[in-house]
Amino acid sequence: MSGRIGLITRYVVLGGLGIIWLLPIYLLLANAGKLTSEYSGSELWSPGNLPALLSNVGEVFSTTDVPSGLGVTFLYATIAPLIAVILGAGIGFAVIVLKLKHGFFWFFVVFCGTVFPLQIMVIPLFASFSQIGLFDTFAGMTIVYAAVATPFSAFVMRNFFAGIAETVFEAAVVDGASAWRIFTRIYLPMSRSALVVVFILQATWVWNDLLLALVLTQSASTRPVMPLLAALQSTEGGGSAYTVVLTAALIVSIPTALLFMFTQRVFQRGLSLGQY
Amino acid sequence: MSRRSSTNYQRAAWGFLAPGVVAVVLVLHLPVLYTVFLSFTDFNGLGDPEFIGIDNYVRMFRDPAVLTSITNTLLWVVGTLVVPVGLGLVVAYLAFGLPGGAWLRVPFLVPYALSGVAVGVVFSFVLQNGGALSQALAFLNLPGSELRWLQDAPLNTFAMIIASAWQGVGVNALLFTVGLQSIPKEPLEAAKVDGAVGWRLFRFMIWPLLRPSTTIVVGLSIVNSLKTFDIVQSMTQGGPNRVSETLGVTMYRNTFLNSEYGLGAAVALFLTVITLAASIIYLRRQLTIGEPVKKAVRS
Amino acid sequence: MRPTRSAAAAAVLLLGAAALSGCSAGGSSGADSGELTFITDKTWDFDTFSAESKKDIDVSLATTAYADQEAFQAFVKQSFRTNKSPGLFTWHTGGQLEELVAEDLVAPTTDIWTKAVENGDVAESVRDLYTVDGEQYCTPISVDDWVMYYDKRTFEEYGLTAPTTWEEMMTVSDTLVDNGVTPFWNAGGNPWAFVWFQILAAGTDLDLYTGLTTGEVDWTDPEVVDVMNIWLDMKEKGYFTDPGSKVAAETQMKDQEVAMIPFGTWYASTLTTVGLESGTDWGVFPIPNVNPDQETTPVAIETAPACTAENSPQKDLGLEYAEWWMSSEAQTAWSEQEGNLPYNPNAEASTEEFQAIGAEFADPSYEFYLRWYEAAPAPILTASLDQFTGFMTNPGDPTPYLEGIQQVADEYWAGN
Repeated sequence: MSGRIGLITRYVVLGGLGIIWLLPIYLLLANAGKLTSEYSGSELWSPGNLPALLSNVGEVFSTTDVPSGLGVTFLYATIAPLIAVILGAGIGFAVIVLKLKHGFFWFFVVFCGTVFPLQIMVIPLFASFSQIGLFDTFAGMTIVYAAVATPFSAFVMRNFFAGIAETVFEAAVVDGASAWRIFTRIYLPMSRSALVVVFILQATWVWNDLLLALVLTQSASTRPVMPLLAALQSTEGGGSAYTVVLTAALIVSIPTALLFMFTQRVFQRGLSLGQY
Repeated sequence: MSRRSSTNYQRAAWGFLAPGVVAVVLVLHLPVLYTVFLSFTDFNGLGDPEFIGIDNYVRMFRDPAVLTSITNTLLWVVGTLVVPVGLGLVVAYLAFGLPGGAWLRVPFLVPYALSGVAVGVVFSFVLQNGGALSQALAFLNLPGSELRWLQDAPLNTFAMIIASAWQGVGVNALLFTVGLQSIPKEPLEAAKVDGAVGWRLFRFMIWPLLRPSTTIVVGLSIVNSLKTFDIVQSMTQGGPNRVSETLGVTMYRNTFLNSEYGLGAAVALFLTVITLAASIIYLRRQLTIGEPVKKAVRS
Repeated sequence: MRPTRSAAAAAVLLLGAAALSGCSAGGSSGADSGELTFITDKTWDFDTFSAESKKDIDVSLATTAYADQEAFQAFVKQSFRTNKSPGLFTWHTGGQLEELVAEDLVAPTTDIWTKAVENGDVAESVRDLYTVDGEQYCTPISVDDWVMYYDKRTFEEYGLTAPTTWEEMMTVSDTLVDNGVTPFWNAGGNPWAFVWFQILAAGTDLDLYTGLTTGEVDWTDPEVVDVMNIWLDMKEKGYFTDPGSKVAAETQMKDQEVAMIPFGTWYASTLTTVGLESGTDWGVFPIPNVNPDQETTPVAIETAPACTAENSPQKDLGLEYAEWWMSSEAQTAWSEQEGNLPYNPNAEASTEEFQAIGAEFADPSYEFYLRWYEAAPAPILTASLDQFTGFMTNPGDPTPYLEGIQQVADEYWAGN
């Protein structure tokens, strides 16, 4: 039966590609499991060992500032994407479902937020943030992250809503529901997987942001983990040993990797195309 | 329907739209205005910017490396549309509806979860001269172990596009997966009854219905590939001798390495205009105002 | 800017108030509080050092490290316009310092220097690096001399000793190449592409080197071409490591793949991280003159200044700290912690290797010059790093590379 062969082919192709995709991850783990005295540029493929890995992990926690930034990073990476998801869904709802006049124009205004390179924006952002007292504050960082994440969120939610049949809205109107009620009771629950995708992708982005955090925060209570991690790398002496930096870089990636794994269940639902 | 012109819903629509628009305009658009101003000035970051008209734009196009930069940037756009987008679709489609498919997608998502520092380390491990890739090719007696992946143009740009695909495929696959999930069941069932299977089912049923997702993935890929910066900066710094530079790197170089803020702003604006033009051309076609999906499906 | 700013202020605040409760961090404090805001692009261990100053003068450092040097500099420049200008920050000497002084942004430290030089805490030659138009600005955290690090294990294995002349160094290199060890570390890109050009140019003719930094010498002059050809010749003899390798110099030395690395004295602490011990595993020697007829032997120096912003709310505290940093107590502690060479002659280097080289450099036959990274104006530096990297990657006739730098230099000197 061709169906079964097709199924097996899919497993083989995906599995094979997946293994290739994981090879670089193996390189990271293998070399994080070496002491700097064991690490060698010509033997990158040789496996590491557990005692060295544990020793590097110990070094990360005992000699670097990296763990101290985890808490505030967690807050940024949950609150800001949450705001962005809601703002973006609101924009998509207004433009597509409520058919706002000149909706495409407004959507495009929001989309333009992704067009400009962030590197050039940090300087004016710093200038205005320090002017109005948002520099080096939790609120300031949350606002920036939420704003940066909003265009993507609006784009995804807009297109997702566009895929929902208009009859859904019409039926709700006939029932006499208010726009707010239709939004929160019908459209948001229907778009669970899109909301989750936006949230996890943007949470990951916020978690891994270096540039904005580098320039817009300063004190220990607001500075997230990426600038702390980057500061371990030295060009002119000092800094941490190479494999310790590598271990730290992996440790801070555990939360985002777990986030992806645990949210995969959301995407298991939906209709099955398996038999085709 | 009278609903379309109903002031009731128009007002409500403003309520839903406004918070997001306000946040984006204030935080993301205002700094752009400042940059527009800077691009007409001579400014080293200290003192006051001095107005010099369009000199920066003239200087920008006189720089011979800018042409390379534009070419490389376009390579990035094309490369990104072919590799990470195409592969993302393949992964999403193959894994969709497959028992355990979600877990098979995880390996592609892990690279996106990695911190920038870890990604930088991976790429230098793999692509440097005599690095992991060369070591592996030599071990397997395959050709290519002598290639200088990051040092010879245009090989270095291609190598970096593949490297960025390693990071980007998972995200695209995820977005396509959401698209696959939102495809309504009925037309597919009908098509199945008509005997559509395999490639034909995909080409004539699923692909058109995937359009909302494809638009997102392609639209964002165009924008992000035009802005390519991080990976080039960390891998080659645009070198050796500027052969792998992209416009994002040119902008950074002028602004931050040479403290020529005006010149950097000019490059940034040039880049922005290209990106806007590309987005308008692409999105106007894809997102017909109002009812994009229905039209797309019918046509 | 004004109207947009206030509009932005109003709206952002509105948004912020609606969404979140502000939880602003403290940290900025008056001059007498004892905690000094210190921002830096260095990765040195300032926390340990802060404990030392807390003990000594009851001032501690609240340090924020910025990994990206370029972003850091842009940030500092912008901060002068705000009330966030730092009480103490690291910077670079040369053109970068002059730029700040020209705008009256850094607090003068002339009084501190006068006292320190009188005390014998610091050499006159170092003061010159901190002098702009007759006044001093900032104080040094460290002054690092450039030396050649060599692998004692490898040298012993092949019966080699530290060379004292260029010729000896080339002979040593030939022996190493014959035995499959790469003599010298050499890397492309920003920042290190300049290293060998600096060594060869200054070692051939220090005036030539200086002329390139001031625009008096053209890059296409035959003397410069000769310098590049020496580099090319060494490259062709296999003296250099692959500039396309991203394996750190210290790792290559640990694996005994490379025998010699030219770097500043700050590099000692990095060698320790891979387990190489000063004295037993590695030693240092002064980089010899390429041209033996040059009267003095040039030694590149670099120095990390700590500066105080003129308009900083913590100006007084910052200057107090800067003064202390030059003292022999602070310098001894710093040298012990970082393993480098203290510039204060009253402080003691922490290793015998560096005590010896410190004594050697006290000899008047050495002449100190500012390393290329600080000495060259920014656009010329950037262009030179690009062209040098191109030259290393595809070695050959140096003329097109030099012409590339000259083009940028012409443009720069025409405007300045």
